[in-house]
Amino acid sequence: MSALIRCTNLNKKFGRKVVLHQLSFELMPGDTAALIGPNGAGKTTLFSILCGYLRADSGIVNVLGQPAGSKALFGKLSALPQDAQFDPSFTIAEQLQFYGRLQGLTAKAAASEMARVLSLVDLAGEAKQKAAALSHGMRKRAAIAQAFIGKPQLVLLDEPTAGLDPANALAIRKLISSLSGEMSFLISSHNIFELEQLCNKVLFLDKGVLHSNVHSNLALDNAQYLTLQLEQEADQQLLQQLQQLPGVQTLTQPQKKQLVFSLHSAQATSFDILLLQCLASHGCHYRSLTKGQTLEQKLFDIA
Amino acid sequence: MSNALLTLQHTGLYAIFELRRLWLTRSGLMTLAATAVIWGLLLYYLVLPATELVSSLASMNTNIRVMGSNILQHLGNWPSSELTLYWLLSLFLLPIFCLFFTANQLCSDLERGTLRFLSLRSSRTAILLGRFAGQMLVQGSLILLTLTATLAISAWNAGSFTLPMLNGAAVIWVNLLLILLPFTALMSVFSALAPTAKLAVTLAIVSIGVGYGLLSWFTSTYPGWAFLHHYLLGAQVGKIATVQGWQTLQFATLPLLQSLVLLLLAYAIVRRRAL
Repeated sequence: MSALIRCTNLNKKFGRKVVLHQLSFELMPGDTAALIGPNGAGKTTLFSILCGYLRADSGIVNVLGQPAGSKALFGKLSALPQDAQFDPSFTIAEQLQFYGRLQGLTAKAAASEMARVLSLVDLAGEAKQKAAALSHGMRKRAAIAQAFIGKPQLVLLDEPTAGLDPANALAIRKLISSLSGEMSFLISSHNIFELEQLCNKVLFLDKGVLHSNVHSNLALDNAQYLTLQLEQEADQQLLQQLQQLPGVQTLTQPQKKQLVFSLHSAQATSFDILLLQCLASHGCHYRSLTKGQTLEQKLFDIA
Repeated sequence: MSNALLTLQHTGLYAIFELRRLWLTRSGLMTLAATAVIWGLLLYYLVLPATELVSSLASMNTNIRVMGSNILQHLGNWPSSELTLYWLLSLFLLPIFCLFFTANQLCSDLERGTLRFLSLRSSRTAILLGRFAGQMLVQGSLILLTLTATLAISAWNAGSFTLPMLNGAAVIWVNLLLILLPFTALMSVFSALAPTAKLAVTLAIVSIGVGYGLLSWFTSTYPGWAFLHHYLLGAQVGKIATVQGWQTLQFATLPLLQSLVLLLLAYAIVRRRAL
């Protein structure tokens, strides 16, 4: 199976500053991958190189089997670039239709495609508006809509929910989730909760270096950890009792009301029942019990 | 579809989109209104009383030279005084208007990031050529409008509309487009370099001025290189004024070549530029 994205020894400098250093990774079809890292880590630069906006100094970048920026990618690769704005002179509908025409659609097909993608982001009623008449969140949703014109195989989304209200952010997450069977995504975001929900693979980038690929739903990994969210902070006595439960390797408390159990794999299967019995006997209420570590915990371990 | 055909198709789509910008958007209609006001004044105060003006200009013993030719000697080349005056005004004004009018081929879209949306769907070559072709279409349509108004005045003054008038107007239209080609291509270069249209215009004016000054100094020091003056933008204008009708097209090679070179330069800039 050929990779959706294959980067080999990718390097990029701005002046003397190294932005990406010897980056190598692969994304396979069906992956919904997260690109994560602190500000200035090189995420947007990587996105720009994948989209052909920037040229790499050295290394190989193949997207859908073609060199990044190749004409063969027109219509197959789409993106939500960071901070890109629509032309203020034309309505959103006119511009989306024009993009459809550039992607080879007839005028009629482009019009119906425009209506379809605007409906996806709940902006059908704003089609005749110009970008300046829309709120920041609406403009963002319109920009997301342009990424779904036609049938792209791979969609790169740079901060798709930044600046959106919670209801619209949820709608966008649902949309990505519902489309993830039809197309693959690479999503850059600072919202770890969002990435955890959407992605099955994580690229952690820091200071231009790819630290590791993390699989957020790896079954083996999930079996060895349990994350417990309590209603109230655990007292010392409860902590001692929990630590003595059979199967517990280590018990950590990343936050006041959160406990993470590392388990011996042999006893991991029945541990949750023992844990709940212990909590009940202690009169302690819990909010959630999750298999595995949160993505945040994994990333902190890496970092 | 082959790459060349796709580029051609996209170029056409961009050019038509630019034409729609002129006729269907608020900013385009403002441009149309400004053009109408400027040309309305010129037509009313200069073209309408053209017969007297042209005869007085022709009787003047003045040596007004454009690129080496005394254009006043050839005022009778055109089938009506109104077209003569329109031709004279356009020769001087349109290249200057062109620098301002076509300055924003790429800069706003580059700064706003709109080109990132476009470059995922079409090549940078198609974007560049499309914007250039669009500006030529827009200028062509504006010249056509003002020429039609001039023809109407000419027919009104003469009491009849003649075929030579129409032919003369067609010759003027084609020649003006040829004159504007390299100036528009020059703005393709500067609009790919500058972050704003204002800066693009400033760079263009300074470059033309400094280039002309340096060349004058160079050729005065080394007179053997004086032939270089014949390759400046608009250098063919003086020669066009000395011939009649479609013979003017014999000077079309220079602006076409200049445009080609400038577009290649713009392409080299756009191809390497980060979006």
